[in-house]
Amino acid sequence: MKSIRRQLLLWLLVGLTVATAAGAFAVYVRARAEARELSDYQLQVMAAAFPNNGFGPATAPAHDESNIGDVVVVQIWDQNGGRLYLSSPESPPQSAEIGFSTVTTPQGSWRIYSTVIGNNVVQVSQPMSMREKLAADLALRTILPLLLLLPVLAAMIWVTVGRGLRPLDEVAFAVGKRSADALEPLPESSLPQEVQPLIAALNDLLARLGRSLSLQRSFIADAAHELRTPLTAVSLQLQVAERASTEAERAAAFSKLKGGIERATRLVEQLLTLARSEPAAVEQPFTMVSLTEVARQVVAERASIAEARRLDLGLSGNTPLQILGDAEALRVMLGNLVDNAINYTPPGGTVDVEPAVDRGQACLIVTDTGPGIPAEERERVFDRFYRRAAAGESGSGLGLAIVRKIAQQHGARIELGAGGGGRGLKVTVRFSGQLAAQ
Amino acid sequence: MRVLLVEDDSMIGESMRQGLRQDGFTVDWVQDGRAAELAIENGVYDLMVLDLGLPRKEGLDVLKQLRRNGNQTPVLVVTARDAVADRITGLDAGADDYLVKPFDLDELAARMRALWRRRSGRTDPVIRHGRLIFNPATREVVYGDKPVALSAREFALLEALLDRPGAVLSREQLEEKVYGWGEEVESNTVEVYIHALRKKLGQDFIKNVRGVGYRVSKEP
Repeated sequence: MKSIRRQLLLWLLVGLTVATAAGAFAVYVRARAEARELSDYQLQVMAAAFPNNGFGPATAPAHDESNIGDVVVVQIWDQNGGRLYLSSPESPPQSAEIGFSTVTTPQGSWRIYSTVIGNNVVQVSQPMSMREKLAADLALRTILPLLLLLPVLAAMIWVTVGRGLRPLDEVAFAVGKRSADALEPLPESSLPQEVQPLIAALNDLLARLGRSLSLQRSFIADAAHELRTPLTAVSLQLQVAERASTEAERAAAFSKLKGGIERATRLVEQLLTLARSEPAAVEQPFTMVSLTEVARQVVAERASIAEARRLDLGLSGNTPLQILGDAEALRVMLGNLVDNAINYTPPGGTVDVEPAVDRGQACLIVTDTGPGIPAEERERVFDRFYRRAAAGESGSGLGLAIVRKIAQQHGARIELGAGGGGRGLKVTVRFSGQLAAQ
Repeated sequence: MRVLLVEDDSMIGESMRQGLRQDGFTVDWVQDGRAAELAIENGVYDLMVLDLGLPRKEGLDVLKQLRRNGNQTPVLVVTARDAVADRITGLDAGADDYLVKPFDLDELAARMRALWRRRSGRTDPVIRHGRLIFNPATREVVYGDKPVALSAREFALLEALLDRPGAVLSREQLEEKVYGWGEEVESNTVEVYIHALRKKLGQDFIKNVRGVGYRVSKEP
């Protein structure tokens, strides 16, 4: 697993090591240049220290008492080219140049300084390796403390990063010990700047969750409340059936019980539909939907029910209408409206479904010849579980709530009015500004 | 006992009416608040069973108005609103009892009998009158150690008379106790039931107050 702490530590150490190495190299380069200058000067000074004359013929000296012999070799020649003096058993390369020169032999490079003193030529040589060693020693001494400090730095990084990340642990702990329904926001104030966006986002999510949860809760409360009505009816019907003393009475009671169960079932189905259309539910992406096609399907599905109730159910007008929407939801919506019309219209009546364009807006209009809804009740009928007093039919009271929900999702308004000749009910679903080019 | 049932849901209302009738109550059923007010105004109800979520006029408003008008009919509220606050509101508005849906028919009947008993100032669930033992819950009547079989109407009529011993009830008042709306009342039926009761309980048990009505003696 990725760990910020480990990653930070690793990369900081890598960076530090690279920086130290680069520093050391710079020191080395610089020290070498300085060592070169200094040694050259030494060679010069050393050569100048020899007397003008007075050297006897070349004799190999007894071993030099100073250890300078290891690093510096002195040779002196007379004007005839005879070597007067050699300070070391092995002879270093010779250079014919007067002044500084560098000579490379298979054994290594030498730095040589030659000068003429009196009649003699004095040549002082020094192996280059010695200078390199000097520079390397210097560089090493410079970076050694840094290298020794690396573990200390690593420990400091480890601890500091750990401390820096502790608020995350605290947040994790705070979130972890919460109960599932504790959705109050996490405190943001004492957190480091870097963690705050995360917490703010979390809090935002919590708030949205809370809203969705409370919506669901109120829905469930409403639903449970309303399930009581059909359940009460069913339990009473059952008791009446149990107490029945004659066969005919019992049969009648059972038939009513069946009706009660059907109603409870319908309510549950409607509740499910409504739950699916709650905002928290996953919404289908909108596509181009032909309202005319939706209307045709809805009417076709209900033709036999309408016939059984001796109602004239039909589609009028064939304006091709397309809007952006959720076809399934729109079918449910129109289906509920038509079902209502069928349920409330007495036999012999008419139920008309019409897709139309009104004032430039797409509309679905359902008209019936039923009892209609008085103006003062027209707003309340959309409330969940509201059932009208005169309603002979025992509906769930959810149909229009579902219709409204779906209409809202489509940005549509619902208008209730009287049907033709002031009789019956006319429901208009008006889709605002979604009328696509035909 | 004649009961006004106010319930807007037709399935529930119908079953309650039928169930309560099976329990020997005389039940009139209305489905909205206005109808309930009209019925209780000129009605002769011993008890009202009131649903709260009513169209046209809320049950609570009906109840408050009823109490404001000084009507003392016991009211049993039957509702799906079960929050403690709702129950408190209901009782404080003048309800005598509160039953939450879904409920049991037998419990409803028992509570109704208890309310009626309380209103009549009795504590004994069984009415004892002389040698008569009258049990509204089991609908058993014993007269001098012998069980007496009564028809539903006879039972209701006797119950009405025993409710206020000594008080004279007119023929019309007795008819109202025995018949709900829409039930065919034949002329002379009260006399027929009185006659039958006297045959079973003795001639003197129900006394005739000529030109006024019937009563059972106050002190048996």
